[in-house]
Amino acid sequence: MKNEYLPKIAVIENIINETSDVKTFTLQLKDKAIGKLKYMPGQFMMLSLPGYGEAPFTFATMPAANGRFQISVKRSGVLTNALHILKEKDAVGIRGPYGNSFPLDRMKNKDILFIAGGIGMAPLRSLAQYVFKNREDYGKIEIIYGCRMSKDIIYKNEIESWRYNPCTEIYLTVDAPDDTWGGTCGVVCAVFPRIKINPKTSIAILCGPPIMIKSAIKDILKLGFRDSNIYASLERYMKCGIGKCGHCYIGDKYVCLDGPNFSYLEMKKLGLDS
Amino acid sequence: MKRLFITSENLGLLIKSLKKDCDEFIAPKKEHLSDIIFSDTKYSGEELLNYDGNSIVSPRTFLLPQTEALFEIISVKACKFSAIEDKTKRIFYGVRPCDIKAITLTKRFFIDKPVDMCYRQKIERSTFIALACARRCSEKSFCYEMDAGPIAKNGFDLQLTPVSMGYIVDIGSKKGSQIVKKNNKLFNRSSSLDEKEAKDILKGFRKTAKRINYKKLAKIIAQNKVKESIWDDIGLRCVVCSGCVTLCPTCSCFSVMDRLDGDRGVRLRYCDGCVYAGFTKMAGGSAPFPNHKDHIRRFFEHKLNVDVERYGVPSCVGCARCIEACPGNIDIRKFIGAVIEGAE
Repeated sequence: MKNEYLPKIAVIENIINETSDVKTFTLQLKDKAIGKLKYMPGQFMMLSLPGYGEAPFTFATMPAANGRFQISVKRSGVLTNALHILKEKDAVGIRGPYGNSFPLDRMKNKDILFIAGGIGMAPLRSLAQYVFKNREDYGKIEIIYGCRMSKDIIYKNEIESWRYNPCTEIYLTVDAPDDTWGGTCGVVCAVFPRIKINPKTSIAILCGPPIMIKSAIKDILKLGFRDSNIYASLERYMKCGIGKCGHCYIGDKYVCLDGPNFSYLEMKKLGLDS
Repeated sequence: MKRLFITSENLGLLIKSLKKDCDEFIAPKKEHLSDIIFSDTKYSGEELLNYDGNSIVSPRTFLLPQTEALFEIISVKACKFSAIEDKTKRIFYGVRPCDIKAITLTKRFFIDKPVDMCYRQKIERSTFIALACARRCSEKSFCYEMDAGPIAKNGFDLQLTPVSMGYIVDIGSKKGSQIVKKNNKLFNRSSSLDEKEAKDILKGFRKTAKRINYKKLAKIIAQNKVKESIWDDIGLRCVVCSGCVTLCPTCSCFSVMDRLDGDRGVRLRYCDGCVYAGFTKMAGGSAPFPNHKDHIRRFFEHKLNVDVERYGVPSCVGCARCIEACPGNIDIRKFIGAVIEGAE
């Protein structure tokens, strides 16, 4: 009988300092005999640090043949603080993958708008990597990424490299620009007038702080995006990842089982109107 | 179904025999001030064959204890874990039909995929002997209204229904029939007179109570048609004592923490509740339910709507423990009444 709460052991192979409070960890399961974590972009896993407990993190890279994956962690609580102190070769506990993926099938042959805010770029990076790897399956791609300050931007070089993909537009914007910032200023919504894809037939995928999701959905609805074509990755406090602990449910849905990715049509049914 | 009969004297003998087959015999006993509680009476012999009313705390605590180890941490430094197996064989005796229904609902929830092994290993090694209620346990209880009593329909291995000469015995499972087979001599066939007496219990309840239309109730809640003033009132009365979530036989929310002793330790789950302000608060500081009244609202919505939508039945069994415990006099019966009335 398998105990779903029992983590597998993973080793930190590499740590990248993205910003002053975000680190990206490259992880690999220690016992390769267990096999790889078979996940899809948008799913998450529970990371354990003995003594500190567990917290959910989304995969920040697309599934790789060698089984390596990355997570990007913003220092914001007890566990993430402890995680930031770890070094390469240290071990952590992993279980998952959990939750649903982004609507990969529905996205096929469609134009896609990504809207990311802050650390919300992590799951969308996994999706972007997947989409660029299978570039011919998708239409035009526009990615809007907003941060508070330019020093908060994560995956800077990789995002710049995405511009070389065919039919791809990248818009970076910051709320509080400093002298070094020569790009767009303002929240993600400030970029919306520049979107070229047809809102009526395109799919929008959002991930970011709740306040960004709320205002961005409101504005893309005005552009003409359909309820069923807008997807947001929701963040909730969760303790188990398997629909038992009771923390994350909204209406009759458990974010960890039925989500974390919901269409705006579903969100409205759950009372999460923008 | 063939119904059996057992005398009080033989029931005592049956318990003696059952005790030999289990590690823990969890049965009602009298605490100070005559309160009934469930306790392991395998060696103490304090169990009551029959009792009035219901236990203060439901037997839920033996399946979902206040704290429970999910697995062992063999080494913090090396990040090594090891599963724990609970091989304890438990017999639950004298469980009221409302609590039997609560266990059935909780079992379905935990065994629904992905399976919670920690709960499953306990429930699969447990035997449940229900004790039907001859009369309403308190004026606040509403088990018949919630279709959870006074006699259990399923979820038990054996059920005893008290009648004047002894107990009618119903077999509810293979485990139950094995107990009867093994202790064959202690049982008789029930007489039509005894069976009539058992039937009269139900008749009595039917005369004085009406089933709640839980589907209609769930729909009103789902459609957000509960008057805001009702939620306001409940929010005002709730002092976050957490009595309701602690005593509710179907509450199962938990949190997780590690307890260490040097380099070793355990990962624990401990009972948590939606009424606490921090229940949905995240590390970054965002709280999807910032208002006090929204917390106690989740308690009501989960019992009366979420579980109806997910499993087709409400997870309130009418035991009235939350009503008894609430210092703010929040009464789920009055809530249900006001919601249905308000929507008409």
